[in-house]
Formats: sequence, structure tokens, C-alpha cells
Amino acid sequence: MPSDQPFIQLAGVTKSFQGIRALENVAFACRKGSIHAILGENGAGKSTLIKIMSGVLAADSGEMRVEGRPVRFSTPAEAAKTGIVCIFQELSLVPDLSVADNIMLADPPKRFGMIDRRRQRRRAEELLARIRCEDIDPDALVRQLSLSRRQMVEIAKALGQEPRLLILDEATSALTSRDVQTVYDLLAELKEQDVACLFISHRMHEVEALCDTLSVFRNGRHIETFAKGEKSDREIVHLMIGRDVETQFPPRPEPRRREPLLEVKNLRWENRLKGIDLSVGRGEIVGLGGLDGQGQKELLLALFGVLRQVEGTVKVGGMEGVPASPAAARSARTRIALVPEDRKTEGLMLQLPIADNLLASAFARVSSGPFIDRAKAETAISAAIEKLRIRLGSPRDIVATLSGGNQQKVVIAKWLMVEPDLILLNDPTRGIDVGTKQEIYRLMRDLAEEGKAVLFYSSDYAELIGCCDRVSVMYDGRVVAELEGEGITEEAIVAASLNIAPEAAA
Amino acid sequence: MTASAITRAIARIREEERPVLIAAGFVLVILIIGTAYTMLTQGTAPLLSPNYLLQQLQTGAFLGICAAGMMVVILLGHIDLSIPWTLTTAAMMATAVGGEMAIPTGIAVGLAVGLFNGFGAAVLRIPSMIFTLGVDSVLRGLMVFHTGGFAPQTDATPLMRFLASGRVLGIPSAVFVWALVSVVIAVMLSRTAFGRAIYATGSREAAAYLSGIRTRLVIIGAFVCSGVCAAIAGILLAGYATQAYQGMGNIFLLPSIAAVVLGGTHILGGRGRYIGTLVGVILIVLLNSVLSMMQMPEAVRQIIYGAVIIAMLLVYGRNSKVTF
Repeated sequence: MPSDQPFIQLAGVTKSFQGIRALENVAFACRKGSIHAILGENGAGKSTLIKIMSGVLAADSGEMRVEGRPVRFSTPAEAAKTGIVCIFQELSLVPDLSVADNIMLADPPKRFGMIDRRRQRRRAEELLARIRCEDIDPDALVRQLSLSRRQMVEIAKALGQEPRLLILDEATSALTSRDVQTVYDLLAELKEQDVACLFISHRMHEVEALCDTLSVFRNGRHIETFAKGEKSDREIVHLMIGRDVETQFPPRPEPRRREPLLEVKNLRWENRLKGIDLSVGRGEIVGLGGLDGQGQKELLLALFGVLRQVEGTVKVGGMEGVPASPAAARSARTRIALVPEDRKTEGLMLQLPIADNLLASAFARVSSGPFIDRAKAETAISAAIEKLRIRLGSPRDIVATLSGGNQQKVVIAKWLMVEPDLILLNDPTRGIDVGTKQEIYRLMRDLAEEGKAVLFYSSDYAELIGCCDRVSVMYDGRVVAELEGEGITEEAIVAASLNIAPEAAA
Repeated sequence: MTASAITRAIARIREEERPVLIAAGFVLVILIIGTAYTMLTQGTAPLLSPNYLLQQLQTGAFLGICAAGMMVVILLGHIDLSIPWTLTTAAMMATAVGGEMAIPTGIAVGLAVGLFNGFGAAVLRIPSMIFTLGVDSVLRGLMVFHTGGFAPQTDATPLMRFLASGRVLGIPSAVFVWALVSVVIAVMLSRTAFGRAIYATGSREAAAYLSGIRTRLVIIGAFVCSGVCAAIAGILLAGYATQAYQGMGNIFLLPSIAAVVLGGTHILGGRGRYIGTLVGVILIVLLNSVLSMMQMPEAVRQIIYGAVIIAMLLVYGRNSKVTF
């Protein structure tokens, strides 16, 4: 019965990296016309699994069949020829090429051996229109697009290869809610066309809404596959982490007036920030909400001293003015820390050892004179590893060998070493696993209770609702709503994000 | 040991140390081949005599000091192409001033050129490959003005001559200078905040900047290191030749880049150990010496020299995988 035959089937697949098992004896299958979720914490082996399917990595042993025929891919191009296309979590676009060039990069239309630019542009337009991104100019350079727009280009590029198995690895994590809906519709459409989809996400509600089959991985093993609705969320989380989880967010203290540490009035920068008013008190977690790209990132960078020619008044710990540079922000009387948006390019020196990354902001604190005091450095490193419970082999290993969640912990630990008073977080939980997310929420609350001020941007409304004492929602470079206590609801945030009055939405 | 056993043994070594060991192994291979050649043709093994080896270290000191500075800049993912004329300018200024101020003047020249290069790369943000090439050309022009295009008539001071060709305890004093520069650079890279900041900046400048590292100062500091090292090499070389001369630095530029890269420093920055650069310098000096001892014609020497560099980089490249 051909209809019952899975599109792709793996048996006994094993893969190790430098002696560490990433996948162990995995059997896995995915049917045509199915949207199949792969769930698991970071480090569970999901990424390795899809890299093997899409030809990026070769398995150490085991076999893979596509429509019953054994296959062995040595490059992603070979996998793409069989119809297996992957949208990676790490964006794979070339920043200095145009959108159209990127979309058609693998196989550009040719005329007399030269790229046919007109046809390429038309094809790119068609693909962008299919995912309702007519606003993206095919001639624009990818570097000029926001992270969420780039992600959509990535999806268009994958569609251009006419996939029969489409793999989405956290592909919705950077998207705006409108684009997420577009992707949902697209997946439904592909399902109609009998395309198989593998969907990796840390957002349970997405999985609920989209997928028909769920597979759970843990520690490199395939734990269980079941149809949607067979298990409760609680049971699924239990399968993923192998233990029960208590309440997701730490309890919020009673709201009370706090001494403001950061006061921002009428902050302006180019045409991205148009007069922001905001305050964060000691011991307070203030959320920044709103759709992606409304100036949240610029606000955090401005407060951290990265942007030039910022206008308006900013008071940090009673002192007027923004710091002149991140170095100044780090060493001022009121110290400021920033956990940046993209941990792989802004947060970490990926090719350096974990120890160097941890110390990058705090060399002065572990030095005597010009020399680094080894004993002090070791103490500081092991204290940081212990405090954040970073799971690693040796601090001398390269930081790129850690899982995403542990990498983010390294970024946070680096900044905690300078004992900052004001902590700016730019979407710190993007693309990391449930267990680590909870640890970060807990940590934020602990830091607030130590009297630090936390300003926290998140693209996940549930986090803003669960974590923050107050939420300032941004729209087009302004704060359009301030929500507090019980007033922080999903409806209120969504309404404010779209800049419509809450009465109208209710 | 079979070839596969060797490959497996290599794979177990930390990736960072692999190029250093391969280069060191190749130094041994050169010595063995050279000795086999002299044993066959003359029945002696001069390559293994202490005198020959000390002579190689003496020759290597000039290149080694240049390469030490070059390495600091390459660790940032930058490059300093102004080394030849920084070296020459420092040597010419030192001999022109003469007396006690000769050496401080030469070093001051290196410092000034380094500051200027660093300013161009870090503040003006001009790619260092272009900026330092321009500086090299400007310095060359200035020196032509200074000398009228002829060899300078001034001589190196006795101290310069002693540092370059004197001996202490039977060991050339230039080797001590090289050793001192090496210790300073190695300690700086591995044990100081400035050194670690160089690795961080070279690995990912944006992340280093957002970690509060003063990346501009780091870049300027690295170019100053390179300029000062070139100046020291120039002062020594003038002492060795008793005079400064036009184009005296030209033969050091490419070998110093080659030594750094052969020693395993990543040409795009962020990775590399100083010990590797030392081994790289020794490799290049020995290779040159053995090839000339075999009385290879110059053309063949150039071909072998280039082929060895390419072949060794291929060996390194095959071991490093694309990481995700």
C-alpha cells in the first residue's frame, strides 16, 4: 500500500561528536501530508536528526530510506534534489546579496549560461507573494531587512526548491504574529499537496495548533511518537524532560512603589525612536511588548550606549545622560548590562573557549595590574558556572559546542560577573528549551529581589504576562500603553501592540 | 606506525595545537632530509652542529621579531603590510640620530607608525590591508627624500652592533632580544586582559564591543605592537649590517605572514598560539637554509618554498570541519 509508506524512514541511526552521543539508535518515520512535530529540550538531538535528514551531517551508522529506497546524502544539495529542504534555526542567507539572489541561490534561472535576472526577480516575487510578503523588495539587500523579514525570505527560499519534505527548525521563533499566521496557512496548504512537514518549536501552542503527529526526543533517543490529543501538555513536558515541572513562572511579589533607577523622558533616535517615556525601579521587572521592530531593540541599544546622537533625557541612578559606549556602561557607577538579540553574533565569541567568553566583560575584576590573576579567574568562572548551572565538559571547550540554552546562560553569566544594577534583556529565551527558560525566569526574579532593575523585551506574550511587574507596549517608536499587575493580559498586550484602544478590542 | 594510526593520533590532539605539532614535525623532517643529503655528499652532518643551529637562530631573530608583531595584528583579523618600510625607516632614523638616542628613536618611529596604522584601521575603519599598504608606500617616499635615494652614510652605534652580532655566553645576543620579545608577546597574549581582548575582538568584534571591551583601543594597541616589533627588527638588522640600507625590510613581509599562518594562527583572526609562530619562523629559516645548502637554483628554491607553505595549509585545512 503506497499511501501507507512513510516518505522518510530512519532506522538505527547513531551519531556522535567527539565521543558524545548526539543520537542513539534512532528509528523515526514521517508520512506524506503530515505535519509532524519534534519536541525535546535543547541537546535532545533534534537538530542533529534534521541535519542528517537534510544532508548537512552524515550518520555514523544506521540507514535512511526515502519512499522505501535507501539513500545516503553527502551534501544538502543532494538532499534537496530528493525534495528534502530545511529551514534552519541559524539563518542561512547571505547578507550582502539581494533578496532575489538569496531565494534563487541554489539554482538560479539561467540564460546562455548567465543568470537571468529578470526571470529570477519574477520567480522571487511569486514566492514572496505566496507567503504574503509583497512588501519585501526582491532587490533589497538581505542585511537591510529585520530578523523577522529575513526569516520569511528564508521560507520563500525553501519553497523555491519545491520541497516534498519541509523541515522547519524554530522557523517561527523570530516571526511577527501576522507572519506566523501566514506560515500556518502555508503549512496547511502544503499538507493538502501531500508534502510532509517536520516542525521543531519550543512553543507548545504552535504545536497544538498545527501538528497532527508528535515525537518526543530526549538525550539523543526517540522516546515516543503519538497522535495529537493523545497526551496532555503536562504528560508531554514530562516526556521531554523526564521529570515533572512545577509552575512555569516564579510568583510575582505584591506591586508597590519603587525608587526608580532608570528614568527615560522623550528619548529620540533617528526615525526609529520617537519620544519614549519609561521608568524602571530597583527590584522591578519591566517588560517591553509590541510587535517585532517597533523600536524595542533600538531602545535597549540606546540605553547601553551603542547608538550615536540619541536625544532626550535619560537618568540612570540619578546621573543624567546615556553611557558613551558599552565599555562606559559596564564601568559606570550604575552599571548596565545588555543580553543582546543574537547570541551567536552579538552575545558570544563562538570560537573562543567558554572561560574567555565568561570573562569577556570582567577582565578588570580578575586582574592585578595588567595581569590576569589565574586563581581569581578560576574562582569567578566556577562560581558563574555553578550559579547558572551551565552544563559543560570543561571551561576550556569552545563555546560553540554548548547547546543553545547553555550558550545563552554563558551570555547572562558573563554580565552577572560585573554585578550590574540595570539589566537589559533582548528576547533572551528565543529558541531555547523549556527547562532553561524556566531557569532564566527564576533568575530574573532573583536578580530583581536582590534590588536590580530588569528591562526585558520578549516576543512571547506569555513571558511578559508571567514574568513582569509592569509591561510597556511599544508601537512605532513610542510607548503606547503601560500595563500593570492584573492589567497585564494577552488581550491588553495584543490590543496595544496593534495600537488600538483596549475598549475597542474587548 | 601506519599512516592511519598517525591520522588517528593527530585527530586526538586538540585542534588548536595540531598545526604547531605538524609544523614542529616538519622541522624535524627538514633536518633529517638535510642531514641525509650532507651525509651522502660530504659524509658529515653540519646541520646538527650547535654552531649551525645557533647561526640559524641568529638569522631567524630578525624574522622572528617581525612575525611576533605580525601575529598580534593577524589575531585581530587585520594585517600589517607596512612592516618593510617601518623596519627600514626605524633603522635609518636610528642610525641618523646615532649615539644613545639611536635605539629609542628607532622604537619611537615604530610606535608612531603603529599608532597611525591603528588609527586608520580602528577609527577611520579603512581595511588594514589597504591602509597599511599606503603607509608603507608613504614611508618609502619619505626615506627616499631623507637619503636622496642613496644608501645612508651614517653607521649603526656600537650598542646596535653588539645587540645584533655580539655573543653572550657563546650565544648570539640577537637571540636574547628575540627571546625577550617572545616572552613579552606570549605573556601579553595569554596572561593579560589586553591579550584576551585581542582574541575576543578577533573572534567576533561586535560581541566583544557589546561585552564592554574597548575594541578600538585593542586594535590600535595591536598595530603598535606590530610597529614596535618591526622597529626592533630594523634596529637589529642595521646593527648586523652596520648600516641601514634601502629595501632592507622587503624580504621580511611575506615570510613573517607565512610563519604566523604556518604556526596555526587563523588568518581571519581569533585563534592561534604564540608557540606556533616561533615554530613557523624556525621552519621557514631552516627550509631556506637547507635548500640553499643543497645548492638548489634560486628558482627551484622559490617553487619548493611556496609549495611547502601551500601543502602545509592544506594539511591543516583538511582537519578542521565546518562547525555549526
